[in-house]
Amino acid sequence: MSPQPNPAPPLPGFVPTHLVDPFEIYVGPVFEHGAPGAKTYAMRLDARHMNRRGILHGGMFMTFADLTLGQAVWDLTNKAPVVTLNMQTHFLKPAVEGNILQVTPELVRRTRALVFMRGDFKVEDETIFTVQSVWKLLGQS
Amino acid sequence: MADRPPGLPEEAQEVSSVGFNHYVGPYYRLPDADGGETRRFAFVVADKHMNAGGTIHGGMLMSFVDMAMGQSSRLATGATGGSTVSLNCDFVGPGRLGDVIEARVKISRRARTMIFLSAEISAGDRLLLVATGLWKIIGAP
Repeated sequence: MSPQPNPAPPLPGFVPTHLVDPFEIYVGPVFEHGAPGAKTYAMRLDARHMNRRGILHGGMFMTFADLTLGQAVWDLTNKAPVVTLNMQTHFLKPAVEGNILQVTPELVRRTRALVFMRGDFKVEDETIFTVQSVWKLLGQS
Repeated sequence: MADRPPGLPEEAQEVSSVGFNHYVGPYYRLPDADGGETRRFAFVVADKHMNAGGTIHGGMLMSFVDMAMGQSSRLATGATGGSTVSLNCDFVGPGRLGDVIEARVKISRRARTMIFLSAEISAGDRLLLVATGLWKIIGAP
C-alpha cells in the first residue's frame, strides 16, 4: 500500500499544475505560481518519492525536472508538440521527505526547432540539483 | 508478489522492493552479459509509465536508468550505498505501451570512491536512450 499524496498546495499562492501525462499524475501533484513563461513550480516530497536510504530518488528529481522544464517550454511555444532530446543533471545535495522542492525554469535560447532550458532546483533557498535540457519542436527543422 | 508482466525473459528476478523503485516498478534483473562486463535490468511498460502522446515518459526512462546504473555501481564494487553525482541522457527514440525495456550497463572506470558508468536502454532492437553518469560509492571494500 503506497502512502497517499497530500493534495494541499505546499506554499501560499500556489495552485495545482494541470498535468495530462499519466506518469506525471502518478508521481504528482505539482503546484505552480506566477505568469506563463516565468512560473515557479513546487512539489512536496513524500514517502513515495524516496529511495531505500530515505532520500529523494534521482529518478524523481529528473522526473520533476522534465515535467517543470517541459511545462515552461509549452508556455514559451504556445503549447507546440515537443520532445526532450537531452538532459544533463548535477545532484548537489540530497532532499528528504517533507522538503518542498522548487524551480523557476529559465529559457537559455530558442531557435526555430530547438529550445535550450536550464533550472536550479531549490529546497528553501539552497540549490540542491541543477539541470540543462534540450527540447525539439516536432515538425520544425 | 505482483504477477509477472508478459514478455519478460524466464530468468528475470524482481529487484525493486522499496520506495520509489517499488512505486514506479516492478524492475527486474537479467543475467549479466559479455562475461560479466555488462549488467542487465528490465521492466515492462504499463499505463502508469506513459505520457499523453502515447510514448513512455522521459522521467520514467531516466528513473529506470538511474536505478540500473546505481545498482550496477554497487554490484561492481561491493559498495553498500551510493548516490548519483551527474547523469547525462540522450533520448534517442520513443518507447511504447507493453514494450519490454532493457538496460545494459557498463563500468567505464572505477576509482576509490567514484565510479563512471554508461548505459543503453532499448526495446528489442530499438535504441531508446543512451546515458553516461558519475556515482559516488560508499562502503566499498
